[in-house]
Amino acid sequence: MSDNDDHQWSQRHLSHYVEGDLSSRARRRLDRHARDCVDCGRGLRALRALVYAVQGLDGLAGVRAPATIFDRVRLAGPGGSPSPQNA
Amino acid sequence: MIATEAALIARAKAGDVDAFEQLSGAYADRLYMLLLRLLSDPDEAGEVAQEVMLRAWRGIARFQGRSSYFTWLYRIALNEANRALAKRDRQPPSVPLGPRELDRPTSPVEDPARQAENNELRQALARALAELPPPLRTAIVLRDVEGFSTQEAATIAGVSPAAFKSRLHQARLQVRSAIGDDALAAAGG
Repeated sequence: MSDNDDHQWSQRHLSHYVEGDLSSRARRRLDRHARDCVDCGRGLRALRALVYAVQGLDGLAGVRAPATIFDRVRLAGPGGSPSPQNA
Repeated sequence: MIATEAALIARAKAGDVDAFEQLSGAYADRLYMLLLRLLSDPDEAGEVAQEVMLRAWRGIARFQGRSSYFTWLYRIALNEANRALAKRDRQPPSVPLGPRELDRPTSPVEDPARQAENNELRQALARALAELPPPLRTAIVLRDVEGFSTQEAATIAGVSPAAFKSRLHQARLQVRSAIGDDALAAAGG
């Protein structure tokens, strides 16, 4: 297996690595390659940082649904048919 | 006495609107937040949330309990969000991922330069997510933002776990490419 093959393969599997989806053998392969490859090492750090940052997008905590959320249900009533304007 | 979910479902199936509101109301805030994250527009999210509830109400007789009620409701929400996104122009929304996420107050102990970097990163992330095709955006929102397991997220998205993972990886790679490794690595310390 050439270094270039390893590099292309590693680049394709960085997210799988971060997700924990690689077999132990595949994980070792990527570990071995990333130790010596600046690009893949940086890619791994970037993806970890990305997942961490996206998880931190929690600024919506405490947002409440609008009080109107059941308005169409109430209009439809037990029959379940919406009024013409909501059809 | 608090009615169990199963009892509320049974009553809702029999046409009891109050039971349906009690049942679905327990998930209303979370469902609305999902719609806000996917649509990035509070007014549109509110409209779509009403439509989701109406569709759930009209379809509850067909709910068979193969998944949890919450998962079922979330799936309807996702379908409706995708329908709304498909109607839009290809332009990214002007207010990405919910205004409050961009205006989140920074920690008082955070270094001002770090605060600015983090705010910049949050904005860049929000823009990058807003520009993803809906299936990829949905994958990253369900898994990374909402924190569902792959299995749960795949069920909600209505695809196999393998297909879901493929979307998730593509989404991360596109966001990574949009933001740049240097900015991400700097944010990661």
